[in-house]
Amino acid sequence: MKVRVKNWSAVAVWRWKVDDDTCGICRMAFDGCCTDCRLPGDECPLVWGQCKHCFHMHCILKWVHSPNANQLCPMCRQEWKF
Amino acid sequence: MSTGPRLFPSSSSSTSSSSSSSAAPTSASSKPGSLGSPFATSSSSTLPSSSSDPSPLAGGTGRPAAAAAAAGFTSSSAAAMQSSPHHPHHHHALQASSASASSYMMSIGGSSSARKKTEGKTLSIKGFKVAPKLPPNYEQETWQKLQAAVRAVHEARPIDSYLEVLYEAVENLCLLGGGATLYERLTAECESHLRLEAEKLSVASEDPVTFLSVVDACWQAHCEQMITIRSIFLHLDRTYVLQNPHVQSLWDVGLIYFRRQVAEVTVTQRRLITGILLLIEQERAGDSVNRSLLKSLLRMFSSLGMYTEAFEPHFLRATHELYAREGAALITTMPVPDYLAHVEARLQAESERIVHYLDIHTRRNLLATVERQLIEQHIRVLIERGFEELCNANRIADLSRFYSLLGRVNGLEPLRVAFAAYIKKRGAALVCDPEKDKNMVQDLLDMKQQLDTLLSQCFGHNDRFQNCMKESFEAFINMRQNKPAELIAKFIDAKLRAGNKEATEEELETVLDRLMILFRYIQGKDVFEAFYKNDLARRLLHNKSASVDSERAMLSKLKQECGGQFTGKLEGMFKDMDLSKAIMVSFNQSKFASQMGDIELSVSVLTQGYWPTNKPTSMNMLRIQQEFQKFYLQKHTGKQLSWDNPRGDCLVRAAFPKGTKELQVSFMQTLVLLALNAGDGVSFPTIKAETNIGKSSLLRLLQSLACGKIRVLNKNPKGRDVNETDTFDFNTDFVNKHYRLKVNQIQMKETAEENADTNEKVNQNRQYQIDAAIVRIMKARKSLAHQLLLSELFNQLKFPMKPADLKKRIESLIDREYLERDEKDQSTYIYLA
Ligand SMILES: [Zn+2]
Ligand SMILES: [Zn+2]
Ligand SMILES: [Zn+2]
Repeated sequence: MKVRVKNWSAVAVWRWKVDDDTCGICRMAFDGCCTDCRLPGDECPLVWGQCKHCFHMHCILKWVHSPNANQLCPMCRQEWKF
Repeated sequence: MSTGPRLFPSSSSSTSSSSSSSAAPTSASSKPGSLGSPFATSSSSTLPSSSSDPSPLAGGTGRPAAAAAAAGFTSSSAAAMQSSPHHPHHHHALQASSASASSYMMSIGGSSSARKKTEGKTLSIKGFKVAPKLPPNYEQETWQKLQAAVRAVHEARPIDSYLEVLYEAVENLCLLGGGATLYERLTAECESHLRLEAEKLSVASEDPVTFLSVVDACWQAHCEQMITIRSIFLHLDRTYVLQNPHVQSLWDVGLIYFRRQVAEVTVTQRRLITGILLLIEQERAGDSVNRSLLKSLLRMFSSLGMYTEAFEPHFLRATHELYAREGAALITTMPVPDYLAHVEARLQAESERIVHYLDIHTRRNLLATVERQLIEQHIRVLIERGFEELCNANRIADLSRFYSLLGRVNGLEPLRVAFAAYIKKRGAALVCDPEKDKNMVQDLLDMKQQLDTLLSQCFGHNDRFQNCMKESFEAFINMRQNKPAELIAKFIDAKLRAGNKEATEEELETVLDRLMILFRYIQGKDVFEAFYKNDLARRLLHNKSASVDSERAMLSKLKQECGGQFTGKLEGMFKDMDLSKAIMVSFNQSKFASQMGDIELSVSVLTQGYWPTNKPTSMNMLRIQQEFQKFYLQKHTGKQLSWDNPRGDCLVRAAFPKGTKELQVSFMQTLVLLALNAGDGVSFPTIKAETNIGKSSLLRLLQSLACGKIRVLNKNPKGRDVNETDTFDFNTDFVNKHYRLKVNQIQMKETAEENADTNEKVNQNRQYQIDAAIVRIMKARKSLAHQLLLSELFNQLKFPMKPADLKKRIESLIDREYLERDEKDQSTYIYLA
């Protein structure tokens, strides 16, 4: 005799795919959230610039809109482009 | 008193306008303010209040008439004396005629309403044009007539003359200016009578109770006699006494003489007090005594103005001594509840004593004396000997009595302290003993409910008791770290899981509310959160929740209690579940779905930060997992996916020869079952290689399939435990009346390990939280002294922590260059931007 699987309720866990552990702006872990947020995950998403640097979206938005940042990536000083 | 018919109503005549309006015979004839203390008040205000009062001093309808009759008056003349309130027209006629009257008879008419009533019977009024001439010895003869009447009254003989004649005689003497002499003679007569009475008393019976009766009889007689005498000499009271402010009314002077001649005599007074106290002592010992005698004598003391000084101090001293003795004796021998009941009965009896014969003004001192001796002196012993026991036995009535009695003597504070100590002791016994962990939460709920009952039924919802209960719960429940929080979380899990015993949503709601009260007392709420989260994850992923509504209700209770930060991740878990359903819908519509074969796949995609994490397993991804992963990552760039296979469940179709079954099994069990599809008698190492499952886990899985309640596998050789040398195949004889079967997993022996793991995670998380809080505070303040930083942290963080732990975290942040020490002041930190 044989058995066969009819239904499978599987469990998967997602996280951000980044090389660094922490955000270069707020220094908090990418697995966590930025200092303004309470919850990680989709609530506090990450974004990658064309320079391949990655930040909390909330952090880089604040950064590029600050007067002294000149729209530059804080890591490589290239122009920040999503 | 004011409702009684008036014996001598005041009239509008000028001669009696200052007469008191009170109806009592005593006060009607006494001039307000004419007496010094104590008589001024004793004759009226200290008297008993009701008009039916049997005291000789109380104004009643029957007594003066009866007294008059006893003194020899005809009943018609006695009735005439008190009839005027019903015949107001007599006043009227009288006033009209008195205006033009020249006769002395008429000139006094305004004050002599009683006389007018007799018109047409024995007396008729005629206006004399000329004042009659009086015989020279008129005054002497008249006095002799009056004196004879007074003596007859004193000796209780009938009076020879008519009352009307005597009354006129008094009027005449007063008119002739003989008021002062008459007053002197009359009062001297009364005084000498009382002197004789006092002599009789001095040789009266030795027996104290009999002596009381004799004095009482003497007093009653005095009062009755004075009423009669005063009615005869009414005109004297109304004219001479009223016109001379320093002269006492006849009634009052009677009291003065009675006091001076009889009651104040040292021996008499001592015998009276001794006798009265003896009777009271007998009554307190349980005998029944002549209460009306006591009442009469004590009213006598009041009337004579002697109650407060001559009686009350002796009485209170006797009371004090009796109850001091009694309290000291009973407190050591009597069980506490009996003692309290006894005290209550004593207080009740003393209250009744006041009603029955004591003066109402004694009430406060008397009850205070009893309370002090029976309760206040013994508060500590009562609490030590009885309180805990009564609480344990839930003796509602006894505890109510305890509370109310101690409340009478400001004893509630020690009771509250004892209540707090009791709660802490009992709670600590439940919380600190690991052997009681199994029932801890239920026991705590029961205890809380019982104490709530005590609070409402025995302690009158007293706020201070309520607060002390809250504080005591907080104190004992946090005596043991983590465990109570863990057990409350587990208890809630049991309630929220499918198949719980609570029949209705309302019952479940009630239990959850009561659990929230316990939860409120817990300081380490993060421990609770960690365990609650583990359980919630299990309920959500394995579809074990009793109802979504209850889950949501519980979540909102937690949110209300701890705020959104506390429940954010829990809410995230619910969100993930909803989102996963949506993902599966779009997956099933995608091209990847066709790769599933006949397996129906559903995936719960969890956000890593929300859920309790498991150690990653090094398992190969199955083909259909890869298909799903491709689908998912295509849609969600920047994310990566890992599989938590031990959390997966399967429904497996097994074609047993004696009937096909559907088995509800874990994913790991499924892997083992699939490994046996290969053939008969598969060895342990083969299965291990096939499934890539670790040894101990695999042993447990095989145990569950081959040795549990539902044995879908055969093990060779047979036996209760699984060994690495065994071989396995499907149980081809398997039968069961159900089509779908759940094969339980072996209850993991490492529940303890899992718990330790959860506790460790809590610890870790606390460190992160401390770090985050330090950075947050320092970023805002830039520079802060060590102590200030610490107190900020204690304010912000909601779990118990030690300063040493915080210091470690600060050091670590300095190492990681978030902070540095101020060069000028080593105890101050500076934030490094
Ligand atoms: Zn950031
Ligand atoms: Zn954010
Ligand atoms: Zn860059």
